[in-house]
Amino acid sequence: MIIRAEHLTKQFKSLRRKDGVVGTLANLFSREYDLKDAVKDVSFELEAGELVGYIGPNGAGKSTTIKMLTGILVPSAGSCTVDGVVPWLDRKGNARQIGVVFGQRTQLYWDLPLIESFRLLRAIYGIPHDRYEQNLKAFTDLLDLDEFIRTPVRQLSLGQRMRGDFAAAMLHEPKVVFLDEPTIGLDVVAKEAIREFIARTNRTRGTTYVLTTHDLNDVEKLCDRIIIIDHGSKLYDGSIDAIKERYGGKRVLTADLTVACADIEVRLPGTTVVSREGHRITIEFDRSRVRADELIVELSRTCELKDVTIAEPELEAIIRQIYQSGLEPLTAGATT
Amino acid sequence: MRLEAYVEFAKRAFSREGTYRFQVFSRVGSVLLRVFLLATLWTNLYRANGEQAGIPLHSMLTYVVLALLLDIVYGVNGAYVVREKIREGTIAIDFMRPISVPLYVFSDTLGQTGFALLQCVPALVLSAFLVHLDGPPSVLAFVAFVAAVAIGFVVNYFIDMIMATMTFWTMEIFGIQIMVQFIASLLSGSLVPLYFFPQGAIQQILLNSPFATLYNVPLSIWIGKIEPAQYAAALGLQLFWATVFGSFAVWLWSVGERKVVIQGG
Ligand SMILES: Nc1ncnc2c1ncn2[C@@H]1O[C@H](COP(=O)(O)OP(=O)(O)OP(=O)(O)O)[C@@H](O)[C@H]1O
Ligand SMILES: [Mg+2]
Repeated sequence: MIIRAEHLTKQFKSLRRKDGVVGTLANLFSREYDLKDAVKDVSFELEAGELVGYIGPNGAGKSTTIKMLTGILVPSAGSCTVDGVVPWLDRKGNARQIGVVFGQRTQLYWDLPLIESFRLLRAIYGIPHDRYEQNLKAFTDLLDLDEFIRTPVRQLSLGQRMRGDFAAAMLHEPKVVFLDEPTIGLDVVAKEAIREFIARTNRTRGTTYVLTTHDLNDVEKLCDRIIIIDHGSKLYDGSIDAIKERYGGKRVLTADLTVACADIEVRLPGTTVVSREGHRITIEFDRSRVRADELIVELSRTCELKDVTIAEPELEAIIRQIYQSGLEPLTAGATT
Repeated sequence: MRLEAYVEFAKRAFSREGTYRFQVFSRVGSVLLRVFLLATLWTNLYRANGEQAGIPLHSMLTYVVLALLLDIVYGVNGAYVVREKIREGTIAIDFMRPISVPLYVFSDTLGQTGFALLQCVPALVLSAFLVHLDGPPSVLAFVAFVAAVAIGFVVNYFIDMIMATMTFWTMEIFGIQIMVQFIASLLSGSLVPLYFFPQGAIQQILLNSPFATLYNVPLSIWIGKIEPAQYAAALGLQLFWATVFGSFAVWLWSVGERKVVIQGG
């Protein structure tokens, strides 16, 4: 196990601000604080080589969790370890074994060409020369850095900069890499390139990834396991398949018929006809109560089918539902 | 501690400075202009009032020129970038690296200062055409002068670092900065030698103040106001202040850092 978080909690304490002239004066002497639980009693364990999506709505506490795991925030309660190291007790030791990529801000040196940032990182992390050259070559190939590696970072496009950031985070061969919204603002092609890079390095180097994102396509394409938090508490920890099973047991079957479908009825338990438009009928069915082939057989008893598609529930729809309906926190049992 | 990384920081700061070519010319030019103006001013003052504070005119002119050169050296404020980082919250990214931020700033400042020293050479040579300059009284004096400037550099770094660290608590340190600079320029002997202040208690306090380590000690060594027998005491005083400011800077930084990791900035 490479990451262990136990009852991780972060409470922010901020001075209560009052408005107006009197308020401003009162602020100088005020000792009234607002308390905010950014992360509440979150526990999880990650095995080496896992690629986990850490998701939740805005303000859920994702970045705060990552900050505690990287050692730049001390938890108010609970604890965590990254490969046995307690991050905030040995921040530099932890820094050597982790990598971090923030979509929102770069860790490259703004004025320097990309390659100079890399050289500086080589010195900072004390990467042996041969390892450095090997990794640089590998990442240059994977991320197509060649065309802009000599360009100052401030002149790079967002997509180029992100590719540079990924290489920078990985040069010292970290065991764990934390990604905080790494695909934010990228076009589809750039997103794909980044996802491909994550998947590749996870497979070939066994890098453990914790991926925070609002783009559920990232999660769906990359992660087997997701952890959902909201209001600082863990709501779900388990596989994507399981969550679809659990919250999205419904499938949608769309069939094009040879005849108008106005009078077609489906008399099977767990099915609902959602719409009938001309020759196209759309039926929602509960997977646990009726199988797709049963439904198709039933349909074809009354008419001929030209074309049939069955849509999986979209992860996005499920997650939206979870965010909105504010489920009771689930812990054990949700895992596959 | 990875020395290699810090050497790299210093080298980079040095070559970064090198890219601002226009700045080099304008800085040397402005020193020459000020040498000319101040030399004229002091020469006329001396002509009108005779010798002042036991410093003959030629020593005074040497003092003025060297003070302007030291301005270039101490004018480097490597800690400035820390203030920006704290303000923008990017200091957190530096905390995620296996390096010490104050040492990183120190190396960076060292690199920048190295480049600043290079500019002092043409400024010194060209100034010598404008006014008569005394050399140091002896080789020993020159060595003591260099040591005094080195300690002054360290004290200056600590002062800048202390100011930058205050950004952890308040973003509005510009006013404090201006005030400290003003006080320092008066009390360090960079504008007027401290011997011009009233003799007795006031002068004694000024000569021993932390600000005196910046200009007064090295410059007095060069013009012979501090004699070889007093070198040890003068450098010792500088070291004392370096230790005081250094300890305070380190303590303040650790408190600021703790505030970030507890309160999240
Ligand atoms: N330094 C701080 N002081 C006070 N409150 C904070 C601080 N940092 C974060 N918070 C609060 O803690 C909560 C969690 O913030 P966090 O940045 O972890 O959310 P997030 O899940 O990353 O959200 P997003 O998806 O918007 O990035 C928010 O309500 C935020 O306002
Ligand atoms: Mg966030």
